[in-house]
Amino acid sequence: MKLSGAKALLMLPALLLLVAVFLYPLLRYGWLSGHASSVLTGLRPVPNGGANWQRLIEDVRFWKDAGQTLRFAFCSVALELAGGLGVALLLHQPLRGRGTLRALTLLPWALPTTVMALGWRWILNDPHGPLNAALRSLGAPSYGFLTTPATTWFFAVLADVWKTMPFVALLLLAGLQSIPADLEETLRLEGASRIQILRRLTLPLLVPYLSLALLFRLAQALGVFDLIQVLTGGGPGGSTESLSLYAYLNAMRFLDFGYAATVMLATFLLLAVLLGVGWLLLRRARIARTTGGPA
Amino acid sequence: MTITAPGLELRQLSRELEGRRLLDGLDLQVAPGECVALLGPSGCGKSTTLRLVAGLDPASEGNVLLDGEDLTLREPGERQVAMVFQSYALYPHLSVQGNLELGLKVRGVPAAERRQRIDAILDLLQLGSLRHRRPAQLSGGQRQRVALARALLRQPRIVLLDEPMSNLDAQLREELRPELRRLLCGGEQPVIYVTHDQQEATGMADRIALLEGGRLQQVGTPRELYENPANRFVASFLGRPAINLLPMAHRRQLGLRPEHLILGEEGPLAARLLRREWWGHQQLLWLESDQGPLRLLTSAAAAMPPQPRLSWQRRHELWFDADSGARLAP
Amino acid sequence: MRLLVLLWSLGPLLWQLRTSLLRPEALVAPMAGSNPWTLANYQLVLSGDPPFWRYLTNSGLVGLATTLLTLLLAVPCAYALQHHRGAWRWGASVALVAAAMFPTVLLFLALLEIARSLGLANSLLALSLPYTALSLPLAVLLLRAGFADLPGELEDAARLEGLGLGQRLRHVLLPLLAPTLASTAILVFLASWNEYAIALTWISRNDLLTLPIAIARIGGSSVFTIPYGAFAAATVLGSLPLLLLVLLAQRAIVSGLTQGAIKG
Repeated sequence: MKLSGAKALLMLPALLLLVAVFLYPLLRYGWLSGHASSVLTGLRPVPNGGANWQRLIEDVRFWKDAGQTLRFAFCSVALELAGGLGVALLLHQPLRGRGTLRALTLLPWALPTTVMALGWRWILNDPHGPLNAALRSLGAPSYGFLTTPATTWFFAVLADVWKTMPFVALLLLAGLQSIPADLEETLRLEGASRIQILRRLTLPLLVPYLSLALLFRLAQALGVFDLIQVLTGGGPGGSTESLSLYAYLNAMRFLDFGYAATVMLATFLLLAVLLGVGWLLLRRARIARTTGGPA
Repeated sequence: MTITAPGLELRQLSRELEGRRLLDGLDLQVAPGECVALLGPSGCGKSTTLRLVAGLDPASEGNVLLDGEDLTLREPGERQVAMVFQSYALYPHLSVQGNLELGLKVRGVPAAERRQRIDAILDLLQLGSLRHRRPAQLSGGQRQRVALARALLRQPRIVLLDEPMSNLDAQLREELRPELRRLLCGGEQPVIYVTHDQQEATGMADRIALLEGGRLQQVGTPRELYENPANRFVASFLGRPAINLLPMAHRRQLGLRPEHLILGEEGPLAARLLRREWWGHQQLLWLESDQGPLRLLTSAAAAMPPQPRLSWQRRHELWFDADSGARLAP
Repeated sequence: MRLLVLLWSLGPLLWQLRTSLLRPEALVAPMAGSNPWTLANYQLVLSGDPPFWRYLTNSGLVGLATTLLTLLLAVPCAYALQHHRGAWRWGASVALVAAAMFPTVLLFLALLEIARSLGLANSLLALSLPYTALSLPLAVLLLRAGFADLPGELEDAARLEGLGLGQRLRHVLLPLLAPTLASTAILVFLASWNEYAIALTWISRNDLLTLPIAIARIGGSSVFTIPYGAFAAATVLGSLPLLLLVLLAQRAIVSGLTQGAIKG
C-alpha cells in the first residue's frame, strides 16, 4: 500500500515502548544469565560461562517451585473455569438488577491483589480472625490456617479463585450472550432438557471463550507473584513459593542478579512452551470441530 | 497526445488487490451533465470503479481525468468529488446541520457563508424542519436526502452515487427517481450512478455501462443495450423476465425475449403450458418446448390455443456463440 | 443462588468494612457493655505520616498519566493496524495477545535497571511509562476491534470532504469510538491502580508509594501484629474509588471485556 510508510510511523511510538518494556528485558536476561552479578562480584557482571544454567538445572528449589507453580495454576484455573461458568450461567438469566449484580460480582477482580491478600490474612488470623471465631463457636479449637502447607496452599488457591473468577465469569457471559437465542429455542422445541442443551449446544459454542479464558488465566496464574508474596510469603517452609517469587527473592533479597535473570528467563521459557503447546492443542481441537471431526 | 473531451474520462483504469483483478482496463467517458449508470451483479467491479474515481482506493493502472486534468494521484479531499453512499454514511453523532457543516468548517469556509449555503441546500431539498435532528431520528428517505444535500453542498465537479436507493422500499424508490434526476443530472457535472437494479439504471441514466468480472461488457443507451446487446451476458442481464436461450445447430444459441414470442396456432415451435403467472395487464407463461423450457410474456387477455405453437419476427432474433457467448451475425 | 454468589463476592469485603469500624479491643474479644463501633481506625490512617490520602492521590496520578499516555499511543497504533492489509497483521495480533498475557513480574529486574540508570526510580510519572507499555497490548486490541466495528463508509465520506487523518479522528472516528475509549480507559486505569511488582521495586520513598504497596507495607510491618483495624480502614478507603468506578462503569467494563474476548 502506498501509505504504509505513514502508517508505520503511527505505530512507531507504541512499538518502541513495547520493545523497550517486553523485548529488552528478555534480551537483557539472556545476557545477564551468562554472567555472575551479585554481592560477590560487587554487583558487577562478570562472565561465568554457563554456570548459572548449570546451577539452575541442579537447583532443587527451582524445580520444586516449578512443580508448585504448576500445581497452583492448574488447580486454581480449573476451579475458576468451573465456577466462572456457573456464575456466568446464573448472570445470563434475565433478572432484575442484573447490571448491579454484575458490578458487585466483578468487584473482587477490580481490587488490588495485595489489599485482598491482606484481607484474607485477617480472615484466616489465628486466633482472632472470623474463621477461627466460627470454629470456636462450634466448640473446635482455633487453627493456624497459614501454618501448615496443606491449608496454606488451599487458601492461596481459594484467594486466587475468589479474585479472578469474576473475570472468567464475565468472559463466559460475553460468550453466552453471543449465542443466538433461537438456537436454544429450536433445541427446546425438539424436547431437549436443560442439561442436554448445555452439553450439546452451549458448551460447544463457548469453546472459543473457554479457551481464551483458559490461556489468559493460565498465563497469569503461572506468573503468580503478589498474592503469594503478601498472603503467604512463600511459606510455610517454602511450600507455596512460586517461580516468580523465587526470581524476585534472588534479585531483591539475595541480590544475585545473574541468577535471578536466569530464573526469570527459565520461567518465561517454561511458560511460553506450556502456553504454546496449549494454544496449539486448543487450535487443533477447534479445527477438528469445525471441519466436522467425529462428534 | 490524445485530445480530451470535457467531462470525466477513465483510461484503462485497473485495480488489483491481493492477486485478484477487481477492475480490468476500464475505458469510459462521461460528458458534463451526463448520468452514466454502472450496472452489474455484485462483485463486478462497479463499486471499485466508483472508489477509484473518488480516490478512496489507489488505482493499480490507468488514469482518471476530469476536463483533461489528471486526478489519479490526488487525495480524495482534493478532487471535489461528491459521493452518496449506500449506507448514506451520515455522521451519527452530528445533527443534520452538523453533518452538512463539518466539511465546510474543515475547509475554512467562514461561518456566514456556511450558514447561507446550508440554508440554500436545506431549502432545495425541503429539509429545513429536520435541521436539528440526528440521523437516527430520520426515516430512510430523509436520510437519503440529507446525504444528497451533503454531496451537493460541496459544489462538486463529479457526482458519484453508490446504490443510493437500495435501502429504500420499492415505492419510495420509484417516487425518488425523477427527483434525483432533476437534482443531479443535466447540470455541469458528470454523474456516475452505481446500481445492481436494471430498472433503476434504465430509469435514471442516459447511458448504461454494464460490467462483469471487472470488465466492461458494453456501454450505450438503455435501448441500445436492450436491442443490440454485445454478448449473451448483456442480453440476459437486461430485460425481465430474462431472455430465452435456445440451443441451435453449429454450437449456436438463439436468444428470444419473452415479450417477442408470439403465441398462436402455427409457428416453428410446439409448446405445452406448465404454469401461468398473472401480472395484471400481462401474464407470464412458463412453457415446455422441444428446445427446453421457455418464458413468454403476453397480454393478460390472450387465450391459450388448444395446440399452442410459438413464432417470432426475424428482427427479434439474437444469435450467440454457445461457448464464448459472443454475439453472432444472424 | 444469587445471594450465594453475592455473599461469596462481597463477604470478605464486608468483613473488612466491619473490622474497620471496630475498636481494636473488640477485634480480640467481644466487648461487653461499651459500644464497640468507632471511626478511630479511619482517623489513625488518615492522620498517619504521610496521610493515607497521599497514597490514593499517588495511585490516581499514576493511573491518570498511564491512561492518557496509553490512549495517546494506542489510538494511532490501533488505527494503523486496522487499516493495514498484509501478512504481518496476523503476526502483530498474535504478538499483542502474547504481550497482553505476559506476567509482569518477570520484567521488573530489567526495568529496574533501566530506571536506575536513567534516574527514573522514585518518580511517579516515570512509573507510568512501563505501565503504559503493559497496558498497550490490550488497549490496542480493544481499540482495533472498535475501529473495525465502525462503518468504513463514514471515514470514506470524511475523506471525500477533505478531512485529514487528524481531523477524521477528532471529528468523526473518536466521537463514535467513545464507548470503546471509555471501557479501554477504565481497564487501563484499573490495571495501573493495582500493579504491584514494578511499583514495589521502583518506588522506595515513603511519600511516593502507590496504594497496593502502601497497604502491603502496613501488612508487612510485622507478620504477627498487623494493625488490622487500621489496615481494614485503609483497604476500605482504597477500595471505595474502585467500587464507584465499577458501579458507574460496569457496562463499559463488561463491553470492553466482551469485545476483547470476541476479537482477541
